[in-house]
Amino acid sequence: MTQQGGSFDKDLIRELAALLDETGLTEIEIEHEGRRVRVARGGRVKPGGSAADHGDHEPRETSRGPTRAEEFIVHPGTVTSPMVGTAYRSAEPSAAPFVEIGSKVTAGQTLLIIEAMKTMNQIPSPRAGTVIAILVEDGQPVEYGEPLAVIEQR
Amino acid sequence: MFDKILIANRGEIALRVERACKELGVATVAVHSTADADAMHVRLADESVCIGAPPAKDSYLNIPAIVAACEITGADAVHPGYGFLAENARFVEILEEHALTFIGPSAEHVRLMGDKIKAKETARTLGIPVVPGSGPVSDFEEARAFAHDIGYPVLVKAAAGGGGRGIKLALFENELEPALLTARNEARAAFGDDTVYLEKYLAHPRHIEVQVLADGQGNAIHLGERDCSLQRRHQKLWEEAPSPALNENERVRIGETVAEAMRELRYRGVGTVEFLYEGGEFYFIEMNTRLQVEHTVTEMITGLDLVIEQIRIAAGAPLSLRQDEVRFNGHAIECRINAENPHTFRPSPGTITHFHPPGGLGVRVDSGAYAGYTIPPYYDSLIGKLIVHARTRNECLMRLKRALGEFVVDGIETTIPLFKSLISEPDIVDGNYDIHWLESHLADQGTRG
Repeated sequence: MTQQGGSFDKDLIRELAALLDETGLTEIEIEHEGRRVRVARGGRVKPGGSAADHGDHEPRETSRGPTRAEEFIVHPGTVTSPMVGTAYRSAEPSAAPFVEIGSKVTAGQTLLIIEAMKTMNQIPSPRAGTVIAILVEDGQPVEYGEPLAVIEQR
Repeated sequence: MFDKILIANRGEIALRVERACKELGVATVAVHSTADADAMHVRLADESVCIGAPPAKDSYLNIPAIVAACEITGADAVHPGYGFLAENARFVEILEEHALTFIGPSAEHVRLMGDKIKAKETARTLGIPVVPGSGPVSDFEEARAFAHDIGYPVLVKAAAGGGGRGIKLALFENELEPALLTARNEARAAFGDDTVYLEKYLAHPRHIEVQVLADGQGNAIHLGERDCSLQRRHQKLWEEAPSPALNENERVRIGETVAEAMRELRYRGVGTVEFLYEGGEFYFIEMNTRLQVEHTVTEMITGLDLVIEQIRIAAGAPLSLRQDEVRFNGHAIECRINAENPHTFRPSPGTITHFHPPGGLGVRVDSGAYAGYTIPPYYDSLIGKLIVHARTRNECLMRLKRALGEFVVDGIETTIPLFKSLISEPDIVDGNYDIHWLESHLADQGTRG
């Protein structure tokens, strides 16, 4: 777990940690009134998990846990990437992000864009709600099916 | 040389290409569908990118996703393997537009050979022997004169034909006139056009293909032939090199003819020119502008790594050897291990519970399978290739028999039992088979029960 800012709300973190378990997410970040809290599980998260990441070249056990994408997919509000590309959180470098954690969004509202083959593809919110997690950085490469954001229905 | 190669394929061939890249010191990017997240080609690559959903059209055939995967990983070249996008000229062009190197021939050559009619015209122009055929024949006398020239048996074929209609066989001259009349009538009824032509009919051909390697700079060599006559429904199951049917003169003659044609075409990369072979003559079928599944038997007898050669040529290097430096050494046989019932050939996807590949001298297994691997139902059934190499064909057959006996793949059905039975068939032992042999053998087995 990492903590940013001075004082922090232990109950909130406990609540978020419980939410991690409940949703199977590996990371939740929230921002409220200028304070930001990020709760993450141990273990590195990186696209393109190579054999080196698994520590060896031996076949993994068949009883392996779900892949990272699968972990996020269990949350009904998770928006996954429909394509391979580079994720951008704003329309252009100087512009404000499309959404922030805590933003209220309507169905169809652009959450971010994914650039693939020099084409900008807007990723719409599938539902109205509140953005409770943004799982990619600006300019981050994303795979097909990679979780991008979580929208909680209100 | 390239810094990073993206392999736009899956299964054993993706793994095969990764091995070549590693030996060249080039980083690899595997792409995969969500169904292949656990595949060995993904696990052994330096990086991997999930490019789409399980259906091939959404992933392995998804050109924008593959180009985007190159962009996010910084790959500078793409190896297409075989199948999927390996013979897609548009894919080659799109890669070029994105300053990515396609490891293979030019888009122009891929397109040319992909059009079966143009390919045959080109082959004829380049001096490659094709099946003799006439232009439209207007009457019996003209047909008889032509048939006399090319020799019986002949096929009378509707020019507008398709689906086997309007095709009649004349084994001897006395059958030509009725064949001509019937083909005309069928053609008129089926296609509204009674134009017919004649073509030489090959009753018992072998499938012989010549491997070529060319650098696009006007240099081309041949790497001998492969005999792929043992097929079922045009799917090759057993391939060997050299062919048990060819002699040294024939090998040199057809090899040099093909190599010269490739020089004239200024072809680049590996390629295979496929022929039907009967009565000492070769008849062009088609050219595959890519690596083939059975390239391994050529590698075993030449000692060359065809994928490494392919990559070097794509990076701009000239051929690394001359024709007189190519040495053919011994005999090699490949058996395709498919996840299929060995009698019905029904696909058998599922989880492999035990996997023990054979080993020892002269034994090679190219496979992405492992114990615990679940074969997804979305792709072809090839799970591996067993290749054996020995000094003579007889030694090779004994080694193959030994290796098949060691091979354990539990949990699914495979074609291993089929090969175990084939290895003791006298015709196989004698190398006495044509492209119809396997199907008629299987039909006989079926009736016997």
